[in-house]
Amino acid sequence: MLTFKDVTVKFAGVTAVKNLSFDVPEGKIFSIIGPNGAGKTTVFNCISRFYTPASGSIEMNGTDLLKLKSHQVIREGIARSFQNVELFANMTVLDNLLTGLHPNLKKNIFSIALNLPSVKRTEKESIKKAYEVMDLLSITDLAHEKVSNLPFGYQKMVDIGRAIIAEPKLILLDEPVAGMNPVETEKISQLILRLKQEMNYTVLLIEHDMSLVMKVSDYVTVMSFGEKIAEGLPKDIQKNPVVIEAYLGEVEDGAEII
Amino acid sequence: MQIIVSGLIFGCIYALAALGLVLIFKTTEVANFAHGEMAMLTTFVSYVFLTSYGFPYLVSLVLALLFATIFGLFVYFVFMKRVQSAPHLNQVVLTLGLFMVFNGVAGIIWGYQPSSFPEAFHGDPYEIGGVFISLNEIFVVILTLILMLGFFLLFRFTRLGLAMRAASQDTMASELMGIKVSGVFMGAWAIGTALGGIGGMMTAPVTFLSPNMMSEVLILAFAGAVLGGFISLPGAVFGGLIIGVIENLISYYIAPELKIVFVFLLILIVLYIRPQGIFGGAKIIKKV
Amino acid sequence: MKQLINNHKPWLILLVLFMLVYPFIVGHSGYMVSIFVMICIYAISAMSLDLLIGYGGQISIGHAGFLSIGGYTVAILTSKLGLPFLLTLPLAGVVTGIIGLFIGLPAVRLSGHFLAVVTLGFGLSIPQIALNWDSLTGGYSGLSLMRPSFLSSDLQFFYVIVVMTVLITWLLHNILKSRMGRAFLAIRESEVAAQATGINVPFYKTVMFVISSFFTGLAGGLYGYWIGFVSPNDFTVVTSFLLLGMIVVGGLASIPGAVIGAIIFTVLPELTRSFVGVTNIIIGLAVVLIILFRPHGLISLFDAFKAKSKRKAGNDQDLLISEQEQGGTVKDVNI
Repeated sequence: MLTFKDVTVKFAGVTAVKNLSFDVPEGKIFSIIGPNGAGKTTVFNCISRFYTPASGSIEMNGTDLLKLKSHQVIREGIARSFQNVELFANMTVLDNLLTGLHPNLKKNIFSIALNLPSVKRTEKESIKKAYEVMDLLSITDLAHEKVSNLPFGYQKMVDIGRAIIAEPKLILLDEPVAGMNPVETEKISQLILRLKQEMNYTVLLIEHDMSLVMKVSDYVTVMSFGEKIAEGLPKDIQKNPVVIEAYLGEVEDGAEII
Repeated sequence: MQIIVSGLIFGCIYALAALGLVLIFKTTEVANFAHGEMAMLTTFVSYVFLTSYGFPYLVSLVLALLFATIFGLFVYFVFMKRVQSAPHLNQVVLTLGLFMVFNGVAGIIWGYQPSSFPEAFHGDPYEIGGVFISLNEIFVVILTLILMLGFFLLFRFTRLGLAMRAASQDTMASELMGIKVSGVFMGAWAIGTALGGIGGMMTAPVTFLSPNMMSEVLILAFAGAVLGGFISLPGAVFGGLIIGVIENLISYYIAPELKIVFVFLLILIVLYIRPQGIFGGAKIIKKV
Repeated sequence: MKQLINNHKPWLILLVLFMLVYPFIVGHSGYMVSIFVMICIYAISAMSLDLLIGYGGQISIGHAGFLSIGGYTVAILTSKLGLPFLLTLPLAGVVTGIIGLFIGLPAVRLSGHFLAVVTLGFGLSIPQIALNWDSLTGGYSGLSLMRPSFLSSDLQFFYVIVVMTVLITWLLHNILKSRMGRAFLAIRESEVAAQATGINVPFYKTVMFVISSFFTGLAGGLYGYWIGFVSPNDFTVVTSFLLLGMIVVGGLASIPGAVIGAIIFTVLPELTRSFVGVTNIIIGLAVVLIILFRPHGLISLFDAFKAKSKRKAGNDQDLLISEQEQGGTVKDVNI
């Protein structure tokens, strides 16, 4: 579905990602793991078109993503959440989700200004949709709460909700459980599995929390210093000596890795 | 040639004002729209020393600068410190509010009638290679050069300069490293206001002394600062000088009344091509 | 949400009724009617500016320039080309909107302080151009224009302005609560996330400038017809500061806030008009004090009051646990 081919990203001479290739298969949960600074978020930022790779190609179902601008990526069916939640902090949860529907609502300025019935109707439908998503995330009672008033765990939920409301084909989740307690983590892992099983989403996941990755992933790619060092089924990755070595240094100070 | 030289002399004043603006912006991230009015008040204070107390020019200058320093600290402590972490919009609006207040205060105390202000040095202009230049203008240029040099040395070679550079890079990290950021901010406001005050005292002989005398200087200083990228001190100086020359060329060849319009168009075009200004490199942010 | 609207409706109707009978309340006093008209004109401009600043997060400190352009557009089109009122007024919006587009295009690439300086330069330039382009603008002496015969009396035109104000408020309200308004807010809050949710940030920034200048131009056009005369000194940079003061003091990103600000900053200078210095100090102080102590403007007083009475109504449970929480801003959060 999403294909990276020999992608290399450089920042002022430093190579952040080197000759990275992978293919996210449709309907699966594909995880990228790796120590801090391995270049995982850079991968996401390339897909979101915030960065442009120095070389290589990124395709979504045959469409060249590198030809698109950031705001056009979602039209190819790719939505994302952010590592440190990039929400619209002073807007309500409902408005955050409704903003996620932006690409699906096509209305011209005149019908909006005059508040024509067609606008009212689509607005009503959008709100209904938003409530469905909030139900899914069980945050309905927070609908009119300002996002900046919510605890971090809920903010992460809203961030994910905003990504799925537009019904993309592929969802990019950047460390969805970072900073969460075990109960919240469990909730999120259930949610990710439901996204795949009940709603047929494809998920590309970046995560530090090994228990989550091993539980939900169909495939795992391991990155270290910008390069792919291993790829395979979760159970194979766990045993892979190269991966263990790459992580050893991390285990000592990184308590997240279980 | 005469036009360019006169432009450069005016440019020195803009450069001084722009330097104060950039210094404050660079360290505290506040674009101080009250800068011109603070300079105007300083100039009025120097005028009081000159006329009411009959002090000599140099003494008045020093006393006025002392006032400017305290004034800058006052503005920082009473107003700007409280909005240090507020959104930029609040900061900008606050300085605009102060602009109105200072303008009104000066208007009430000294009235809106322009009065004349003495030059630092009197005397007939000299002719150097076909260009006329007065003693006072030479004074302006030399003063600007000395201040530039002083700043360069301050920033490069002193602890305060290092602290200022660090604080402008990353406030939090500097604080953790033991740099007193609030002290640095105080320094920026004090020195920045004093620089503006010097600019004001150099402006007053030309434009006459009135509460509105600095509004045009302010926008041209801002234009200079923007051209220079807003965070580069040498950029501010070059920007100010360029604006001075361009302004004079426009006044001479097109129309003096339209200089602001053309300067505005110029910065619009420059910023369209280089949104970060001429000296504000996007990747390598040049810090002095 | 529904409850809120239901609560607001009677007040809005009352307000419109008040506007309609206002001339009779003040006994047709020309001065009082004139102040009211200026409030309407400033309210339209302040709401338009609020769309740009409060909602979109794009600063403009030269907005009075757009008012001037609107005024001059109707004056030039009426006096030089003899176009009818029904054509010139919309054109005032369109012409100003086009100028807004030209300002907005480069502004898209600029942020924060650079934008502030560019818009300030714009605000300073417009009166200069008006002053020096004699052949078009009449230079220092300005241009006079006639109202159409069917609207010649002040009372008739008063109602035109009231209707336009109500209409524009409604249109702006619709825009701001729509997906477009959400896109503006999203850009203000996080450009990165806005882009990731498919919002074309440069496009919408330009749109903000165009909409904002369009309505401000209409306000300028109304002003031109009301006074019957436009001159370079009508709307200077001080007017721009005033407009900015209005939305800040009233409360950003709030239509009622902009209106409250417009009322305060139209009436205040009237009270102190013989002392320029005092006027400046009062306006400046109002802005400074609000920023320091009520950064969300006067309108936040209402919100705080609402929240208080709601909490009194019995649910002082922790917000996040409480299931009955229905809406509205509850905590006053400093950004």
